[in-house]
Amino acid sequence: MRKMLVYSGFLTLLLTSFCFSEEGRIALKGGRILSVSGGEISKGTVLILDGKIAAIGALVEIPPGAQVIDVSGCIITPGLIDSHSHLGLGPSYGVTEDNEMSDPVTPQLRVIDSIHPEGVGAEKGSFRAALAEGVTAVIARPGSGNVIGGQSAILKLAGRTVDEMVLAFPCDMKMALGHKYYYASKGLMPMTKMGAAYLVRQAMLEAQEYRDAWLRYQKDKAKKPVTPPPQRDLKKEAMLKVLNKELPVHIHVVGADDIMTAVRLAGEFGFSKLSLGHADEAYKVADELAKRGVVVVVGPDMIVHDDEGRWINLADVLVRHGVEVNIMTDADVVQQPFLRYQAAVAVKYGMDPVEALKAITINPARLAGADKRIGSLEAGKDADLVVFNGDPFDLQSRVLRAYINGQLVYEAPTGDVRPGANR
Amino acid sequence: MRLQRAFFWLIGCGLAGALAGWPNGAADGLVAIKGGRVLPMNGEVIEAGVVLIENGKIKQVGKDILIPKEAVLIDASRGWILPGLIEAHSALGLQDPGIGGSDELSNPNEAPLLVLDGINPFDKRIKYAGQAGITTALVAPGRGNVIGGQAAVIKLLFGKPVSEMALLSPGGVKFSLGEGPKSAYGEKGRLPSTRMGSAYVIRKALVEAQEYLAKGKDYELKKNKGKEEEKPKRDLALEPLARLLDGGMTAFIECYRADDIMTALRIVDEFKLKAVLIGCTEGAKMAEEIAKRGIPVIAGPLGIGSKRTETEEAALSVPAALAKAGVKVVIHAENALGVGAQEELPLAAALAVKGGLGREQALRAITLTAAEVLGVADRVGSLEPGKDADLVIFNGDPLAYQTRVDKVLINGAVISERKD
Repeated sequence: MRKMLVYSGFLTLLLTSFCFSEEGRIALKGGRILSVSGGEISKGTVLILDGKIAAIGALVEIPPGAQVIDVSGCIITPGLIDSHSHLGLGPSYGVTEDNEMSDPVTPQLRVIDSIHPEGVGAEKGSFRAALAEGVTAVIARPGSGNVIGGQSAILKLAGRTVDEMVLAFPCDMKMALGHKYYYASKGLMPMTKMGAAYLVRQAMLEAQEYRDAWLRYQKDKAKKPVTPPPQRDLKKEAMLKVLNKELPVHIHVVGADDIMTAVRLAGEFGFSKLSLGHADEAYKVADELAKRGVVVVVGPDMIVHDDEGRWINLADVLVRHGVEVNIMTDADVVQQPFLRYQAAVAVKYGMDPVEALKAITINPARLAGADKRIGSLEAGKDADLVVFNGDPFDLQSRVLRAYINGQLVYEAPTGDVRPGANR
Repeated sequence: MRLQRAFFWLIGCGLAGALAGWPNGAADGLVAIKGGRVLPMNGEVIEAGVVLIENGKIKQVGKDILIPKEAVLIDASRGWILPGLIEAHSALGLQDPGIGGSDELSNPNEAPLLVLDGINPFDKRIKYAGQAGITTALVAPGRGNVIGGQAAVIKLLFGKPVSEMALLSPGGVKFSLGEGPKSAYGEKGRLPSTRMGSAYVIRKALVEAQEYLAKGKDYELKKNKGKEEEKPKRDLALEPLARLLDGGMTAFIECYRADDIMTALRIVDEFKLKAVLIGCTEGAKMAEEIAKRGIPVIAGPLGIGSKRTETEEAALSVPAALAKAGVKVVIHAENALGVGAQEELPLAAALAVKGGLGREQALRAITLTAAEVLGVADRVGSLEPGKDADLVIFNGDPLAYQTRVDKVLINGAVISERKD
């Protein structure tokens, strides 16, 4: 079993080995359970066995030897998942690892090769701070400086090394349309939006050629065993995964024009799944996005303004149009711990809290292809869950306990553990 | 051609007319707001209270107030009524979208500049802040210059001439220590490239202002004795600094790290300035030193948005730590995005409560305390007879996350009303 780094409060840092004996049996009893996938249980138990959720319900038989924790009056949710983060890549105002600005097309880059598992500089400690606010997983992506930025990963926020943290890698290809001021300032392509779209198209075409070359080689080799293989190309290999529908695509866009360009590219090359980030004008083309099953990751701005200056609660408007919505911090644009407060802003302006909770749990899990493991409280899934002392969107609510793989990764310092404390 | 010009002239007149009629037109006469809960901020909460407004000023606040028949009635019986919120540190109206520009980065000492000359009253952010219940704001230059210029306290009257928006201008001189000037000038190989360089820029300017002040006093003294000498030349750079030295104006010093806070305090001590500190993310370490001098702090960022190296220790607990030491604390919006947006100022206060600040203190920190620290408490910041009728009606507890702003009034006129 792999080792996990366990954070107990901010005070102690314990390194413990997983040993699934009696210790791996935990029953969280008497809490209000927001399962996300299976509705709400007003008073129930979550049973954890060997890092997985073994049972959940109003009547759960607790096996002998299990550690029973009374969480009456508390709310249990799945561990929160940030759908878009740059956690571990360094603080925005500092030396960051987000963007490899030597080439606008860098699909070969792997975000996990840049992530420091504790954060560096001003970002140091934000992994632990995020756990203390119930965030247990994030989709970490390269920045938007390049048209094709690299391959993203979904990470759990526990582990000594990034390799221990990775839940799925690669989970999508990060792209960014629109103006690329850095290259434009140097007189390099892309200086225009159409230039950016062309670079994506060209990369896809080269991947097609690369695929054909390998297919040809396989055929020729069968006839003539001495046929030399084509030269491996890491860039094209990465794009081939997109072409083969093994890798979904996430695109940073802003205006409705870029949004529809992204939709066109997805249609043209048959992206397996398209998600958009920073899509401030998505409300203008919400029906188009709903029709095509495009996912929109809303944030860090939660409120946008239309051309008349009216406030638009973007996440809410999109959900009402049938678009699947995720919510993000874009950490560190909004710091990693503030994920649930981002969702709270959407709820404040009218979003259904049930939808808002989905947008920071099951929806991002599905987007990253990790919904069989995390994102909801269901028997068989990883025991990644959070115990709050009140409404998870209430700013004054506190996380009492957070678990990842059944391991206690955060426990509130004593003093504010009562349900409703500090209110 | 001429016809076209006449046409535009007509449109212009029409627009001006429409603007002149709003909001002043509605401000005339009596307005009565029947509230569910009135929080005047200078005293006890009044349940089922009434705020009576006459000609844009608050006439009466209380429980059993006779509402005159002719008064326009605003029913807010389910609402909470507070004084208009105050954003105590902003760049509202100063930044052009996509270009930025709240700093005149041609010289680290830009004391003569008046922020009021840079405010665009049609900046949409002024409107959005107003819709969020913020009725007054300090607009100050950024942190790039050591001496950034003269700040202004304005009312968020979107689209009005700045002279009408101005509540206090000049409203103080803005200083900045730490990374701001270092990065703005250090990269160009100019003074200040270091923290000691920044301190020197301030000290030099204030010493010159001392001499300027002395020269002026000397001239007046001699003149009063009938000995007319040549009048000293006016110096626009030294004039505002001289006003700081004679206590006529406040020094707003932006500083984040503990060492920068101490530098600010040393300068304040040396020149006996009336000062307010802005930022103070490491304020908890220096809380005693700040408290001992009775210097207020406009605290923020609270660590919601991106951190710079000097704001690494930004945390929700900073305002509480300062307040505990006895420092007068104001909270300003982070000006980040999402939950850190300027429009979410009450949520910033709520997060400070999460960090340990008392509820009442947090509410005062975005109303009355802010008005006191900005030097405009004679006009705004609380619901008191005689003060401007700037108020905000919430549909519940302003510190609760679901609470929305229903109505906002400035000078007794409704500037924003919730539609949904």
